[in-house]
Amino acid sequence: MALRVLGVTQNMRTFMRGVDLIKRYKSAATLQKTLLNIPATQVTKLDNGLRVASEDSGASTATVGLWIDAGSRSENEKNNGVAHFLEHMAFKGTAKRSQTDLELEVENLGAHLNAYTSREQTVFYAKCLSKDVPKAVEILADIIQNSKLGEGEIARERSVILREMQEVESNLQEVVFDHLHATAYQGTPLGQTILGPTKNIQSIGKSDLTDYIQTHYKASRIVLAGAGGVKHDELVKLATQNLGRLEASLLPPEVTPCRFTGSEVRVRDDSLPLAHVAVAVEGCGWTDQDNIPLMVANTLVGAWDRSQGGGANNASNLARASAEDNLCHSFQSFNTCYKDTGLWGIYFVCDPLQCEDMIFNVQSEWMRLCTMVTEAEVERAKNLLKTNMLLQLDGTTPICEDIGRQILCYNRRIPLHELEQRIDAVNVSNVRDVAMKYIYDRCPAVAAVGPVENLPDYNRIRSSMYWLRV
Amino acid sequence: MNPRSIGMLKMLKLKNSWRSTLPRCFATKITTVGSDEIGSGTGIGQITGGVRNNEGGPHNVNNPSTKIVTHLPPLTEPLANLPEAVYAQPLADSAVTKVTTLANGLRIASEPRYGQFCTVGLVLDSGPRYEVAYPSGVSHFLEKLAFNSTVNFPNKDAILKELEKNGGICDCQSSRDTLIYAASIDSRAIDSVTRLLADVTLRPTLPEQEVNLARRAVSFELETLGMRPEQEPILMDMIHAAAYRDNTLGLPKLCPVTNLDSIDRQVLMNYLKYHHAPERMVIAGVGVDHEELVEHVTKYFVEDQAIWDTEKLSDSGPKQVDSSLAQYTGGLVKEDCEIPIYAAAGLPELAHVVLGFEGTSHQDNDFVPLCVLNIMMGGGGSFSAGGPGKGMYSRLYTKVLNRYHWMYSATAYNHAYTDTGLFCIHGSAPPQHMQEMVEVLARELISMADEPGSEELMRSKIQLQSMLLMNLESRPVVFEDVGRQVLVSGHRKRPEHFIQEIEKVKAADIQRVAQRLLASPPSVAARGDIHNLPEMSHITSALSGKGTSTLGRKLSLFK
Repeated sequence: MALRVLGVTQNMRTFMRGVDLIKRYKSAATLQKTLLNIPATQVTKLDNGLRVASEDSGASTATVGLWIDAGSRSENEKNNGVAHFLEHMAFKGTAKRSQTDLELEVENLGAHLNAYTSREQTVFYAKCLSKDVPKAVEILADIIQNSKLGEGEIARERSVILREMQEVESNLQEVVFDHLHATAYQGTPLGQTILGPTKNIQSIGKSDLTDYIQTHYKASRIVLAGAGGVKHDELVKLATQNLGRLEASLLPPEVTPCRFTGSEVRVRDDSLPLAHVAVAVEGCGWTDQDNIPLMVANTLVGAWDRSQGGGANNASNLARASAEDNLCHSFQSFNTCYKDTGLWGIYFVCDPLQCEDMIFNVQSEWMRLCTMVTEAEVERAKNLLKTNMLLQLDGTTPICEDIGRQILCYNRRIPLHELEQRIDAVNVSNVRDVAMKYIYDRCPAVAAVGPVENLPDYNRIRSSMYWLRV
Repeated sequence: MNPRSIGMLKMLKLKNSWRSTLPRCFATKITTVGSDEIGSGTGIGQITGGVRNNEGGPHNVNNPSTKIVTHLPPLTEPLANLPEAVYAQPLADSAVTKVTTLANGLRIASEPRYGQFCTVGLVLDSGPRYEVAYPSGVSHFLEKLAFNSTVNFPNKDAILKELEKNGGICDCQSSRDTLIYAASIDSRAIDSVTRLLADVTLRPTLPEQEVNLARRAVSFELETLGMRPEQEPILMDMIHAAAYRDNTLGLPKLCPVTNLDSIDRQVLMNYLKYHHAPERMVIAGVGVDHEELVEHVTKYFVEDQAIWDTEKLSDSGPKQVDSSLAQYTGGLVKEDCEIPIYAAAGLPELAHVVLGFEGTSHQDNDFVPLCVLNIMMGGGGSFSAGGPGKGMYSRLYTKVLNRYHWMYSATAYNHAYTDTGLFCIHGSAPPQHMQEMVEVLARELISMADEPGSEELMRSKIQLQSMLLMNLESRPVVFEDVGRQVLVSGHRKRPEHFIQEIEKVKAADIQRVAQRLLASPPSVAARGDIHNLPEMSHITSALSGKGTSTLGRKLSLFK
C-alpha cells in the first residue's frame, strides 16, 4: 500500500488485485549510486508531435505502451463514460483483425495486452518478449487508429461495462473515492466517474466514440513509452511506421479548471459491517513544486493495516495510535494529483463506533503536521519516500508506466538524482509550510459509506481543521 | 478581467486591513490572509471566485493560498546546478549462481546482478508442514513476529531504522514448507543487513508482550479473512487438509482460532531451536559479491551464537524435526457456513468447491509437463480485469466460464513440494448450481487425459515460457528462486534450462501426467451453502470413471 504515496494507483480503473507479498521486498538504494546503474531515458519527438521515450535494460522481456492525454476529465455530462467505453472497444477488433484474431495473436505470443482509463489519462500497453516488440507496437497502433467500433460489439460491450460497474460497486474503496471526487469537484468534469452514469453507458453510440477519438487522440497528446529490452532507435522507427500518420493537433488541449469545493457526502448503510471514510483537502497539481513536500507529509502520515500489528513500534504516529487503541482496521494516506489540482487526504476503514475517535486522531495528526512536526520524523519520511519511489521501479511494466506518465505530466522524465535532490531539499519548515498552506483551516471534502452514524457532522470536522491555541 | 472583479479586489483588501486589527489567536500567520498572498497570485479568476463567496462577511479563510512556500522551480523544469548524470549501458543478464557450504551445513548462494541494490535473505526448510508436534499456527505467529526485538536490537523500531538508513525494507512470509526472511537494500549495506538478518533469525528475544501483539495481529487477520468474500486462503488450507489428512502438508497454514492461546514464547523458542538449524537454511543474495556475503555470514551466523544456545530452554517441547514424507490420502473437507457477499447490489452469495488430485514434486520429471497442463487449464474470474493475454483461450475459459453464465470463477492451481504435489481446480457459483458446477469441473478434469490440440499446446508452452521470464524481471523473485532451488537441490537451474524443458513437452507428456493425476483418489473441499454438494462417493466414482458410459450418455454425472 505504500506504493500509493505517489497517488498514481489511486485513480486507475484497473487495480492490481491483491499486491503479491513477494513484491513487497523490492529493492531500494540511495539514489546517488543508482544513478550510475540505470540506463538513460531517451526521448524523441516525431514530426507529428508524438513523443517516443524509452529505457533499454537489455532484458529478455519488455513493456511498450501508449499514454494518451485524455480521460474522463475530457468529457462532459452528456458523454461521460466515453473514454472508458473506448478503452473497452479497443480490444474488439480493427479494420485489419477481428476480435478473435487479435486475442489469439496476443495469447499465442505469450504477451499481455492491457488498458486502463483514469481521470486524465488513457493507457494501452503490452508486455511481451523483447523479440516481439515490433509486433506489439503494431498491434497497439492498430487498436487506437483502426478500431472497428461495430454496432454489434458496442451493444455487447455495453453489458460488459454495466457488469464492470457492479464489480466496481462491490469495491468500497473505489466507491468512496468516486464519491469523494463527486463532492470535492462537484459541477466540474473531475467530479464525474470514469465509468460514467448508467444512462450514458446505455446511450453511447458509434458517433460519440468517433467524435472522442477525433478530438483527443492527437499525435501531440500521445506518448509511446518502452522499457526492458527495447532499443530506442528501433522504437522510433516503429513509431514512425505505425503512428507517423496520426494527425497533429493545431491547438494545445484546453484544460477546464476544476474547482474544489469543501463539502461532504454520506451514504449511510448500516447493513455493511465497517465504515469506509475518506477525507481530503485540495492539494496541488502534478507539476507544482509543493508536490514533493506534500508527498513527504503524506508519507509521514503513512499507511497501516491491523493484521500488520507493530504496536508501539510503528514509524507513523497514527499507526501507533491505531494499533494501541484499536481505532481502525486500516488507513492509508493519499496524495492524488491532477493537472492543476489534487486531493491530499486519508482513507480509513473502521468499526461503526470508532469513526469519531479515528477522525479525531487523524485531524490531530494533521494539526500536528501543521504546527509542530519534528525534524526526525521528516527525515524518516524522506527516506521512506525515496525508498518507496525506487520500490515502484522493479520490472519493465512499472518502469514503462513511470516513463509514460512522467512524459505526459512533466514533458520529461525527472532524472533520479534530481528527484533525490528535490526530496533532500525538503526540511521540517517546508513540511510545516505546505501543511499550513494546504491543510490548516481549509474546508475538507468528506465521503463516507457504511455504518457512519458515528462520524461527526461536517461542521465539527471543519472546526477541527484549526486549533484554538495561543 | 472585468471591472467588477477589480472593485471586489479592493474591497477585499479593505476587509483585510480591517481584519488585521482583530487577529484571531491562532498559532499561525497564515489564517489571517495577508495582502501579499492576494496580490502575488497568478490566478486572478480564482481570487474573484473567492471574493464572490465573501460578499457580506469577512470570512475569506477558504481562499486557496497562492503563497510560495517551496522555493524551487516546478517539476516540469530541471533544477539548476545538478551534477551531470552518468548512465549505465544496457547489459544482458548472464550470471552463474555460486554456492558455498559452510562446515556446519549452512549454504550460501548468490548471483551478481545489474544495479547497485540487492535482495538478501534466508530461505528455511520450515513451515506448517513441520508443525505436527506443535500447536498448528506456529509459523503464522513467526511470520508476524519476524523483525521484532532481538539480542542486539532492542525493538522493531531499531530494526526499521537500521534498514531505512540504507533505503531498505524487509518482509517475512511462510508457505507450507518454507519460511523466508528477506530484505532489499543498498548493496553497500551488506554488512549491516547480514547482521540484522542473523539477529532476526537466530537471536529473537520474543518477549511476552510481542507474542501478545502477534496473537492479536493473527486474530485480526483471521477476522478479516472471515469478513471478505474472497475465499482462496481458507479454501487452500481446506483442500490441503483433504489431500493430506492430518499429516505434513495437510496441516493448516492459518492459525486455528482455538490455538491462539496455546502458542507462547516457550513453544515458539522450542520450534525455532530445531527448525532454524544451519543445515536447514540457505542464505541467498542477488546483486551481491559472493565472497563478501560468505565473510559476513560466517561472522554473524556461525561465530555468534543463537539465543537458544545461550539461554537455557525448558525441556518440555518436542526434541526433533518431523521428517515424515507427505502421504497423499484424498478425501473431503467441507464447511457449511455463510460466505460474505460482495457489497454491490445484485451479486449473489457464492458457494465454493475445490477438486484436486495428487500432482508431482518439483523434482519430478513430470513437473514441467504438469506446469504446461496447468496453463492449458488456466481460468480465472468470469469477470476479470485485463485484456488479451490473461489466458482467455485456456480451457476453463473456453469450456467453462464462457459456456455457463452462472459460473463465477474457475481457476486451476498447481502446488508443487519436495516430495509431492497437489493439482486442483477452484470454482465458485451460486449455491443452487453447486451440483452442476461439480459436474462441469469434473468433466474438464477427466478430459485432461484426451489429446490436447497442437495449437493450444503450443500456446500454453509459450505462455509458460513468457510467464517465467516476466516473473524473473523482479529481483525479489530471482532471490526466492535461487533460495528455494538451492535449499532443495543444492544448485540453481537456470531459466534457460526450464525454457528448453518447456520446449520439449509433447502432447503425449500432457496425457501421461493427466492420467497420472486422475489415477489418484480425488480431494474435495467445499465451503458456503453446500447442501447441493453431491455425495463424496458419487464424485469419486464419476472422477474415476475415466470417461465411462455414464459420462457420455447422461447429462448429469450424479443421478
